[in-house]
Amino acid sequence: MANALDGIRVIDLTVWFQGPVAAQHLADFGAEVIKVERPQGGDLARGVRSIKAVPVGDWNQYFLVINRNKKSMAVDLKEAGGREILHKLVKESDVFLSNLSSENLAAWQLSYEELREINPRLVYAMNTGYGPFGEITKPSFDMTVQALTGLMARQGEPGQPPIYLGMGSGDAIGGLMAALGILIALQQRDVTGVGQYLDASLYGAQLFLGAPSLQGYLAGDKTLAQQRSRTDAPNPLWNMYEASDRWLMLCLENGDEHWSQLSGTLDDEALAGDERFATDTGRSGHHAELIAALDAAIANQTADEWMERWRPLGIPASPIGNLEELANDPQAWENDYFVETYCEEVQRDVNVRGLPVGLSKTPGSVRTLGPELGQHTEEILTETLGYSWEQVVELKEQGAIL
Amino acid sequence: MTKALDGLVVLDTTTEFWAALGVALLGDFGAHVIKIEPPSTRREANAGTWDHLNELANRNKLSLALDTEPAAGRAALEALVKKADIFVADRPIPDLEQRRLDYASLAALKPDLIYAHGSGYGPAGPDRDAPAIDELAAARTGIMPILQQPGQPPVYTEAGQMYSSVMLAFGVMAALRHRAQTGEGQQVNVSLFAGNMYGASLDIQAYLAMGGERFLQPVSRLDAGNPMSGVLYRASDGRWVTLTMPDTDRWWPDLAAITGLDVDDERFNSHEKRCEVNRLELLSTLEDAFSKQPSDHWRTELNARQMSADVIEDYGYPEGDRSAVRNRYIIDIEDERLGTLRSVGFPIHMSESPAELTKRAPTLGQHSAAVLSKTLGYSADEIAQLQTDGVIAGVSDG
Repeated sequence: MANALDGIRVIDLTVWFQGPVAAQHLADFGAEVIKVERPQGGDLARGVRSIKAVPVGDWNQYFLVINRNKKSMAVDLKEAGGREILHKLVKESDVFLSNLSSENLAAWQLSYEELREINPRLVYAMNTGYGPFGEITKPSFDMTVQALTGLMARQGEPGQPPIYLGMGSGDAIGGLMAALGILIALQQRDVTGVGQYLDASLYGAQLFLGAPSLQGYLAGDKTLAQQRSRTDAPNPLWNMYEASDRWLMLCLENGDEHWSQLSGTLDDEALAGDERFATDTGRSGHHAELIAALDAAIANQTADEWMERWRPLGIPASPIGNLEELANDPQAWENDYFVETYCEEVQRDVNVRGLPVGLSKTPGSVRTLGPELGQHTEEILTETLGYSWEQVVELKEQGAIL
Repeated sequence: MTKALDGLVVLDTTTEFWAALGVALLGDFGAHVIKIEPPSTRREANAGTWDHLNELANRNKLSLALDTEPAAGRAALEALVKKADIFVADRPIPDLEQRRLDYASLAALKPDLIYAHGSGYGPAGPDRDAPAIDELAAARTGIMPILQQPGQPPVYTEAGQMYSSVMLAFGVMAALRHRAQTGEGQQVNVSLFAGNMYGASLDIQAYLAMGGERFLQPVSRLDAGNPMSGVLYRASDGRWVTLTMPDTDRWWPDLAAITGLDVDDERFNSHEKRCEVNRLELLSTLEDAFSKQPSDHWRTELNARQMSADVIEDYGYPEGDRSAVRNRYIIDIEDERLGTLRSVGFPIHMSESPAELTKRAPTLGQHSAAVLSKTLGYSADEIAQLQTDGVIAGVSDG
């Protein structure tokens, strides 16, 4: 079957998560992604031993899933022979992607200016930390950049520590943004014949991640920068509540019909008839009292019991599920948001996150998990770049390749 | 300067913020986006205030207020579809089928059309037609109960929908590439569920592979897996310092130096001791060390050594950050009535064809007449008749 990105070749000189996941989106849709790694151990993510203090076990899913559908080439860019390989590969490629420092790239003669000379059609994409015009030069990781955006400071209950949006949450948006930028630049390249430089930084992408509240903050609502308690939700009908066994999310507009529908299910006639809550302005004006009353009422039954009462009435609500429930959610499996794939490393099928973007005629796929370090070095040198076997042996002797 | 997406015509019938914003990402790079809205649409802002979310989600778009139900409205829509490259919708599929705005109905008019659909939970499965509400999609991803400290309520971040926005634009671009190669159009499917799941990728994948209770409950910050990475420590002024240095061998000498610890301390002198054997002890030792100085002190020390660490800021930081403006992550919009407005800007920098704000978000039907005349060649009389019949709105009298 044809793939949407057939014929696109990507040089993926990235490490950890943001850069690799950008290239993974392209690889899922059929681009030929060549991950270039240093011969000494490769991408540091290959060395991840535990996540949240839980040992990764017999397969390093952190590395293998982000780098799926890719080839690996082990090249030492400190060697002249290694740099020459990269320059030849640039000539044969559509995209160069990196999240390494621009100082390193310049030292290896891989700056945009140099590569553009070699291949004017090249799309040169960076995932920097703070943007092309940033003033901060230190190494950047997801959470330290997220710290500056203001995203963490507004999460959670007042007085509690700030909350990180989740492991890799910022890298995930930065990587996706880079993948989008690359396709936009390729679209133009196909028209004009000329590539360009692009950057999807962690800082810029994470500010975009905050848009639903940052936009209101910039428009003048300074309270959006602060933690806001769920006991202070402006519309009590759109809030989370703790049932007798677990939390649930209720999403009703603040309308009289909605209130009469909901209050009719709560087994509390006094609450249903309480005049303070009879109108929309009453409910928002007395929101703290109404939330307290709903807390008390909803705590009397299990979340499943509430779902059974509310579903027939079309009241939008959901229990707040955990990862175990997600792993068994048919909705995730039937849409290929999860897929099963073969893992060479452990010689069995494993479950991996699948394809969040669906294309009806050229769906993406998980064909292979992440490659071994340097698995495709020889293949690319001889088949794509036309090196002879003698030259390959020589490069090995020089230490330019693994 | 040519724009990256010059010449692409996008018909946008979205109703939700996240989906509309996904389309705006295409408009930012020069796609010709026509937002088709029912003439009865109500805008939320009051006179004299700024409808800031609408401004963001519908920038760089034209507005055609068109009722597609009557025959004359349907005819205009069909004529537009025949000239379009991309059609975007976010209503439930049965609703779109009933309105003949589903993929099959429109592809019959324009076989190579790219049809992007945004839903709550994706095109298959038992909940394919359930309402698209970000909170409910987030509630299902398993991440909400584990972000906070133990004993605290779950956390809804609002971020999940933003992944879906970018996915919409990404899916359209991938489909365009395929169309350019083969001439074939197709349907692109994105959902809030998929976006929220993607944002939580690392936790989800770790659970799929490793399982265990540790991923089902919130983890206390003083029980973090790596005391030097993904952690928060409270400074003496009550502000918070975060560190992300997964490669602890590289950074331990610097961290030990600034916190006054002995780099050779036998409890902490290897990665294994720091992250496994004496992990909890290092967490409490660092907690104690960071509590002795204010956050400004820590920022100075951390930056002097170029360490991957920082102090937690609120939205006031990017608002006042010159580099956020220079990179155009935050932009200023000059408004005749309201003065200078600040808005979320452009997350992707492109050297040759940068994103631009060429058009403010339109008023309802602001471009009804222009679209009908310029794109479809309708005469002034025909347009006036459509206005009289209530098929279009926004065309001023006379």
